[in-house]
Amino acid sequence: MAISKEDAVEKARRDLAQRLNVDASEIKESVEDSEFPDMALGAPEDGEMSGQMMTDGWRIRLATGGKTFEYRADKNQVRLYKYKGKNYRI
Amino acid sequence: MNRNNFLIHLALAIVLILIAAFAGQLNRWRKDWKNRVGMFPVAQKKRPATPTDMALAESQISGRPEVLVKFKSGVSLQTIEELTTRFHDRVEDRIENAPGWESIDDLDDAEASRTVAQYLALPEVEYAEPNFEIHIPDSTDTPLLPFPSDPRFEDQWALANSGQRGGTQGADISAMRAWATTTGSDKVVVAVLDSGVDYTHEDLAPNMWKRPTNIAAYHDDELGTIDDEDGFNAIENASDPMDQNGHGTHCAGIIGAEGGNDIGITGVNWKVRIMPLKFMNAGGYGTTKDAVEAINYVINRKKAGVNVRVISASWGSTQKSRALEDVIRKAYENDILFVAAAGNASTNNDRSPHYPSSYNVPNVVSVAALDRNDQLAKFSNYGVKSVAIAAPGKDILSTWLGNQYEEKSGTSMATPVVSGVAALIVAEHPRISVDDLKKRLLAAVDPLPVLQGKVATGGRVNAAKALQ
Repeated sequence: MAISKEDAVEKARRDLAQRLNVDASEIKESVEDSEFPDMALGAPEDGEMSGQMMTDGWRIRLATGGKTFEYRADKNQVRLYKYKGKNYRI
Repeated sequence: MNRNNFLIHLALAIVLILIAAFAGQLNRWRKDWKNRVGMFPVAQKKRPATPTDMALAESQISGRPEVLVKFKSGVSLQTIEELTTRFHDRVEDRIENAPGWESIDDLDDAEASRTVAQYLALPEVEYAEPNFEIHIPDSTDTPLLPFPSDPRFEDQWALANSGQRGGTQGADISAMRAWATTTGSDKVVVAVLDSGVDYTHEDLAPNMWKRPTNIAAYHDDELGTIDDEDGFNAIENASDPMDQNGHGTHCAGIIGAEGGNDIGITGVNWKVRIMPLKFMNAGGYGTTKDAVEAINYVINRKKAGVNVRVISASWGSTQKSRALEDVIRKAYENDILFVAAAGNASTNNDRSPHYPSSYNVPNVVSVAALDRNDQLAKFSNYGVKSVAIAAPGKDILSTWLGNQYEEKSGTSMATPVVSGVAALIVAEHPRISVDDLKKRLLAAVDPLPVLQGKVATGGRVNAAKALQ
């Protein structure tokens, strides 16, 4: 089932709140439409290969405690980009 | 003269008369041939005219060296004869009703285009052109190169760029000229290693590979026996390679959507066999391990007798895998070309490699993407050492899930263009080795200034040249 932009943002917020053990209401967000270089949204996990097709999606920036975290999403997936040096599909 | 001598002389005279009569008839036949209507280079006489020949005549000037030259007024017959003698030519005929025009035969059998150029360079010459052979168009003739009946062909700028939608005329792979030689073969199998393929798509179904009944179902010691009637699904180690994403279906259509079927688009190959392999899921990503399994499957099928000559790999990442490299090398040892996307990070693969396209294995062909104006696509990776060739890869129309068509961009789209051209080469040269296939592919480029220092060949793939 396709993921909407709102669903993606909500999923990202929940993920970050859980990772940082903070209340989701403390997280500020900004979202923009974006084009990613591949079907892993430019954020492949270790050992992952992806189709090299330009992919439309959303760049979701979440801020809390003075730090900003980037999530990337499209209709198929939500990914956390370079969190402590690694990418995660959530 | 005694009676015997008289009879011998009489017989000789009869033979000579017959020879002269036959020569005269030959000359009349030749002149009749020239007076027919339609354009063909003289060299195209070997076989009956096909619909493709007329347009070939427009673009190819080759064969027997006969040219028509118009000398400037005032140039004397003596000068003309001196010039033709200097070029080791001879004036075959003067055209009385077209003053100044001479029909000239090149006694060296040089190409007509060269002879024409030779005369055009002379200050005494006003104009020169090859002597086109003329024929009467029959009902099957068309005035253009093979033009597929697929209704959306006009949107396929990669195959025939007429300048549509702001493109540059001729910024394409010369597919129509290639199709004058071959439109592909159902004996050539191309493995599309991807998210699977929608093998029920009406524009793909006739060109999908099916395991021949004389080849046993796939058996792997660890995976067991899989009835690979339609291909292979490495994610589930199962038989069904149905695409749930669309990416693999798009790539498959670029290689081999059925041509000339009055439906949708045409592939680079009108006829081919596409072996669908699924290792990427509905999201368009997959694991290295499943890619390795799928390539292993291809090698197994090749050994079992399937004529799979090309793997098209429109995927990758920056992570290097020794297992993946090794299995691609194994594919090379089994005479299989591996065409891979250079990647879409706008970066230099010589400095930041992208795999599998950057593996230094002899069968790997790394492909960059061009836009409809012959510019390197902004997203495309490049690398004069590690990226071999470029191909159209932006706004490419192809098949999509549910009998649909979509335009997509990426080196993912450029890769199957090159795979498709490789398949055309194999169709024309069935016994070609993987080394020669790669060599032929890379030698057949149109050099582009923007690609100098960006890709090793410095050019865009040209299907017509690849078949010459």
